[in-house]
Amino acid sequence: MRATRKTMQRQHNLTAYGFLLPWLIGFFCLTLGPMLGSLYLSLTKYNLLSAPKWVGLSNYVTIFTDDQTFTNSLWLTFKYVFMSVPLRLAFALLVAMALNKGIRALGIYRTIYYVPSLLGGSVAIAIVWRQIFDGSGLVNRFLGWFGIEGPSWISHPDYIVYTIISLSIWQFGSAMVIFLAGLKQIPGDLYEAAQVDGAGKARSFFRITLPMLTPVIFFNLVMSIINSFQAFTPAFVIGDGRGGPLDATMFYTLYLYMKGFSFFEMGYASALAWIMLLIVGGFTAIVFMTSKFWVFYGDSKDGR
Amino acid sequence: MKRKSLWIGILALMMVVLSACSGGTGSPGASNSGNTSNNEQNDATESTEQVELRVMWWGDQKRADITNQALKLFEKKYPNVKIVGEFAPSTGYFDKLNTQLASGTAPDVFFLGGNVVDYAIKDVLLDLTPYVGQELNLTDMDQTMVQYGTLNDKLVHISAGANARGVIINKSMFDRAGIPVPQDGWNWEEYAAISKQITDKLGSGYYGTYNLAVDGMDIGLKQNGKQLYDMANGTLGFEEADALKWFQYWDATSKAGGVVPAELQVSNPPGDTSKSLIITGKVAMSLIPSNQFAAHQSLTQDELIMVQLPRGDKGTGVVFESSQGLSGYAKTKHPKEVAQLMSFFINDPEVAKILRSDRGVPVTASNRALLEGEASAADKIVYDYTSRVSKATETEPFAVSYNPPGNTEYSKLAESTMYEIGFGRKSVGEAVSAFYSGTVKIFNNNQE
Repeated sequence: MRATRKTMQRQHNLTAYGFLLPWLIGFFCLTLGPMLGSLYLSLTKYNLLSAPKWVGLSNYVTIFTDDQTFTNSLWLTFKYVFMSVPLRLAFALLVAMALNKGIRALGIYRTIYYVPSLLGGSVAIAIVWRQIFDGSGLVNRFLGWFGIEGPSWISHPDYIVYTIISLSIWQFGSAMVIFLAGLKQIPGDLYEAAQVDGAGKARSFFRITLPMLTPVIFFNLVMSIINSFQAFTPAFVIGDGRGGPLDATMFYTLYLYMKGFSFFEMGYASALAWIMLLIVGGFTAIVFMTSKFWVFYGDSKDGR
Repeated sequence: MKRKSLWIGILALMMVVLSACSGGTGSPGASNSGNTSNNEQNDATESTEQVELRVMWWGDQKRADITNQALKLFEKKYPNVKIVGEFAPSTGYFDKLNTQLASGTAPDVFFLGGNVVDYAIKDVLLDLTPYVGQELNLTDMDQTMVQYGTLNDKLVHISAGANARGVIINKSMFDRAGIPVPQDGWNWEEYAAISKQITDKLGSGYYGTYNLAVDGMDIGLKQNGKQLYDMANGTLGFEEADALKWFQYWDATSKAGGVVPAELQVSNPPGDTSKSLIITGKVAMSLIPSNQFAAHQSLTQDELIMVQLPRGDKGTGVVFESSQGLSGYAKTKHPKEVAQLMSFFINDPEVAKILRSDRGVPVTASNRALLEGEASAADKIVYDYTSRVSKATETEPFAVSYNPPGNTEYSKLAESTMYEIGFGRKSVGEAVSAFYSGTVKIFNNNQE
């Protein structure tokens, strides 16, 4: 009995590694070398065109003690992540639940709602967003019908970040598809039993749907956090490509990019990249550590 | 049974992945053999010396079309040279170039603008001095432009067009407002007063001028005997007080009314011709390089003219500047052909006819005369303006100036400073003090 369990375990692991193999090969063949290279560069002053000069930790010291743009871009990125991730997930769940009501032609709707995610990262959509939220764009014309004179959403430093957040929420598709799959997995008899016991819609949502979905929410949350920290294209295209106006679109990745490729400070940019890696890693670790308190695996092997 | 099929599946997957990986290591061998056969072919045709040159520039589709046309002409004249043209919009151009330079794959010839110093001090530009008088004919080129391209005693940059900055004026707006059009020789107080008058007369939504605090700053400094970058001494050419005075002028003019508000200037920047409020008849005055005039006029029915900049203590501070030019890559394998191409680009009359003044007025006297002969109405305004500038520089000469090293970062900082003041985030004093210390930092950081 013990032995079979062990072999099963081993087989389980092997299967997992089999599926991980493409990623592992990519990581060791392609990613690892440049990553270690950038770790070295982060300890040098490197202007891209002459040989790197060893400066020790001086880049890191400058970043933490004497770089206002770093602090600003970090806060801006946090703001973006903490607003866009919950909103996007909530929106995705909402749409997934609406689609899960057993409507006809579900496949078509699912595809249509997924399209923005396919397009969302692209430059073309960001340009469309520019037009929609321009001073004389669609949104302000719509507001104009009600006599409201909207600001120019994409050129005022106070508002432009919300334009970018709205674009991110609109890309709810991939999270939605995963939620939809998760919803389909919840056994219908749970709801029937709840109905018999007299539970209302809200109660069955909070007592059945949410707990049963937690593994899926967990997955979506981790993926969304990682993706949002790395957001680049929307800020680059909707802003002026240089973080403007007034650094209101100076996302962390954009700052890193500009330091490295426009300002000839690749060493400094590498240090920024490693700090970003630690931050994203830290947040992911926090989510993972807290997961045992709120993620419920109904099909877990050891029956937790 | 089911488990077995799963294992087969995994094995199959591993095979695919592994073969993909080994294919990755195998394919260079395969392509190597392809290369050797290519090399043999090259060796065989060594006698005619077939050469391929990559050329890269920035700009819009129209510029790409005419540049390609000119390069085709070169191929026809030098059949042993094949040209591969690449272009990018101005926003991503330099990032692309920097990446290529870093990886050693930069084009043989590329265009540079006001940031040529940044590349010259990093020793990535081909020294063209040995080819002058041989492949590179500069006898007809303006001496000031040759000097401009000579940095650290090396000729590294051949200007492809000259221009003089000036104030573009939407004359129709002045007519509508019933205000007389300004004339050369005016000063900055008049400039501020006229801007306010335009807004007062035409009402809200109309402005006298764009905020020129950044675009005109180097000129403003020169008018007071300072400059951005003192190349001879390798230092900044101005003090915090000089910058403060300039930003204060624009702050005061903005507060008085008549200057485009920051929010509007962000969405319709003066540098983007297609969005410029000069075109839409909302702003009466702005600062442009003279080669942009025709592009502005072609987009509007309003009558546009050009006037010299308002004067400071020392004059207008305007000289002919190189708008952009060609540089060779230091590691190019075909420096002679590079020199040939540059020589052709600036001297050939047919090229001049194709390119016209897209990158500025031609830098050789004969091509200038050629284009002047068949100038359009808009071109005539430009030529009239530039000849007034040449006349002014005879009595009030100013040195051609360079942007400081770290130009990209500096210009971003300057723009941020203007908007910090414009959006009311900082007082002028605070903003300028941060601007100056930031400028010093960038400057020191980019010394090689």
